[in-house]
Amino acid sequence: MSDDIAVGIDLGTSYSAVATFIDGKPEVLTNEWGERTHASVVSFLEDGTVLVGNSAKRNIITNAENTVYSAKRLIGRFFFSDEVKKAQAVMPYRIVEGPNNAVRVQVGERVLAIPEVSALVLKEMKAIAETALGHEVRKAVVTCPAYFNDNQRQATKDAGRIAGLEILRIINEPTAAALAYGFGKDISQRICVYDLGGGTFDVSILEIGRDVFEVIATAGDTYLGGDDFDDRIMAWLADDFQAKHGVDLRQNKFCLQMLKEAGEKAKIDVGRDGQAVIKVEGICQTPEGQVLDLEQALGADQFNRMVMDLVQRTFKVCDEALQSARMTASDIDAVILVGAPTRLPIVRQSVRHYFQKDPMAGINPDEVVAQGAAIQASALQNRSAAAGGQTSYLLDVTPLTLRVGTAGGWAEPIIDKNTPIPIEKSKTFTTSRDGQDRVRIRVYQGESKKAEECEFLGEFEFSGFRVGYRGEVLIQVTFEIDSNGIVNVSATDNETGQKASTTINLSSGLTEADIKSASDKNAEVVLAGHPAS
Amino acid sequence: MDESFRIEVERLSGALDQLDYFAVLKIEAGAIPAEIRAAYHRESRIYHPDRYATVDDETFRGQVARIYRRINEAYTVLRDDARRRKYSADVAGPDRPRKLRFSEEDEAEVKGAAKRRTVEQMGQTPNGRRFFSAALADAQAGRWEAAERNLRMALTYEPGNERFKEQLALAEKNRPKQDFRIK
Repeated sequence: MSDDIAVGIDLGTSYSAVATFIDGKPEVLTNEWGERTHASVVSFLEDGTVLVGNSAKRNIITNAENTVYSAKRLIGRFFFSDEVKKAQAVMPYRIVEGPNNAVRVQVGERVLAIPEVSALVLKEMKAIAETALGHEVRKAVVTCPAYFNDNQRQATKDAGRIAGLEILRIINEPTAAALAYGFGKDISQRICVYDLGGGTFDVSILEIGRDVFEVIATAGDTYLGGDDFDDRIMAWLADDFQAKHGVDLRQNKFCLQMLKEAGEKAKIDVGRDGQAVIKVEGICQTPEGQVLDLEQALGADQFNRMVMDLVQRTFKVCDEALQSARMTASDIDAVILVGAPTRLPIVRQSVRHYFQKDPMAGINPDEVVAQGAAIQASALQNRSAAAGGQTSYLLDVTPLTLRVGTAGGWAEPIIDKNTPIPIEKSKTFTTSRDGQDRVRIRVYQGESKKAEECEFLGEFEFSGFRVGYRGEVLIQVTFEIDSNGIVNVSATDNETGQKASTTINLSSGLTEADIKSASDKNAEVVLAGHPAS
Repeated sequence: MDESFRIEVERLSGALDQLDYFAVLKIEAGAIPAEIRAAYHRESRIYHPDRYATVDDETFRGQVARIYRRINEAYTVLRDDARRRKYSADVAGPDRPRKLRFSEEDEAEVKGAAKRRTVEQMGQTPNGRRFFSAALADAQAGRWEAAERNLRMALTYEPGNERFKEQLALAEKNRPKQDFRIK
């Protein structure tokens, strides 16, 4: 039976959680310290072991250069993207360029791809589950933000494989939350999931009809999350400190980390108590050698003013999702809040105001995604489903329009956003020169007609078809988006029906060989705080 | 899972290219949106690939996946009013055998028609449309003077637009009469 255990993992920007399905309901698994959520922080220790979780988070300051956090903000991105540039400026660990514009993290002598870092978080989740369950765990459903593009999903899947897990499915975080909310309740409702995580924001609108969870529309912003709230407090603290003492705390990565920690704590305190007292002793030294303390008080009103525009941005995304679903806020029967930042009163009040409705109570915003993933993991393992039917069916959509590049730098739509998946669509291409023996197409995802404004997924090259005069050879290219939201492209020669061979160029993703070697390395890593297996 | 279902799946996956979208969702050609959604949910319960995730027979899973992709394709077209109108007309016409699947050209036609409609109704220039829609909102709220201003702005971008002129006449009629003569 051991291979029948499958867990659900919420792989978050700041925190991760793991759950499994026991006795008809999802259960979040705790580590030996009773902790239910675990910081997505990976700290490489001097003795060669790797520390992951809440204890690793404490190392961000003391072992800053060797501690990697918020890796999810970088996963599946190109080295030249703004997000990576921003991370380079603020992260204490080294971010370097890999082949094909990929992003790598350098820790001491080791260079790791971002999926390798995420794989260490997954390895920790796997270890926690194995300790809690007393069984080996080999299969998992892993969640990702609904608005993740193909590169990011593929990288998330790679992370799972590197961690030695068979990834049964990548499911969207808001969909997982909806599943956990509606599972076994026999309800028919239109719901809105408002998912504000550490680094990403998603909105999904679903129609639940008993056991069917149909996503009508989804929208998001992968550059907006609780971290941005911290940044606002940090900027305010730093500006104020500079005005008082003439020292810019942001110039030193060590001070910056202390500042970040203070900002995060202030946000939590002000959300819970309505005010925060910030005190960091000895945050820096003046050039004259005088040790300075950071002392400040932050009130709720002041905090709300600082972050109001961020909160407003979430409702632009809500507008977009409702418009795609052809609904208005009043059509929504229930609003579900997901992600720790939704505990902030400013967020709750704004949501109540926007939807004219109290958000659903009794849902744990930190755990609901992992619970939903566990339900789906169990459904995919259910051997009697084929005969008797399932207890839940997820009907999800693709969040971004899939496009192909055309001459002149344009990108033409193939599969629209919010199309139900799995789906396929074919398009016929032809050769433009006599005797041409290969056809190249570039695939993009995004909402702009200009290719450069969309996310580049890869270049596919087809060869092995008939050679003829230009325009004579017709190649039918099939674009498929699978249940994970991952794009597959294949081509056949229209006349002979022969499948053309495909090569993917310019992809920043990992090759099979990379994954294999990364997986071997991952297996050798000893996680600190767990008995070596 | 019984043998008759296996046979049904094999038959259906082989026959997909001869079926129109209504037949794929097992509904009447004139079905209304609520019926289409209900049918989509009903067929999803039967053919959702997750349900057969543990079935070892790979051919069977491939057939189910093929059917389900087509169900999603059918739903994508039929749930949208404009696409459904065009599709229904096409499959009822003489071109039926070629029109069973909604093609790129059909899609372009629907999108083109929608765009033409916006242009006809709202104006041909972005600025014209912007001022015209602002004017319509003003008129709706009874702010006729603001509506008149916006319409005059819209007309500077599209001096020949008849609809703009019509609305302007209406706004001029409704706005409060002012008397500038010095008494």
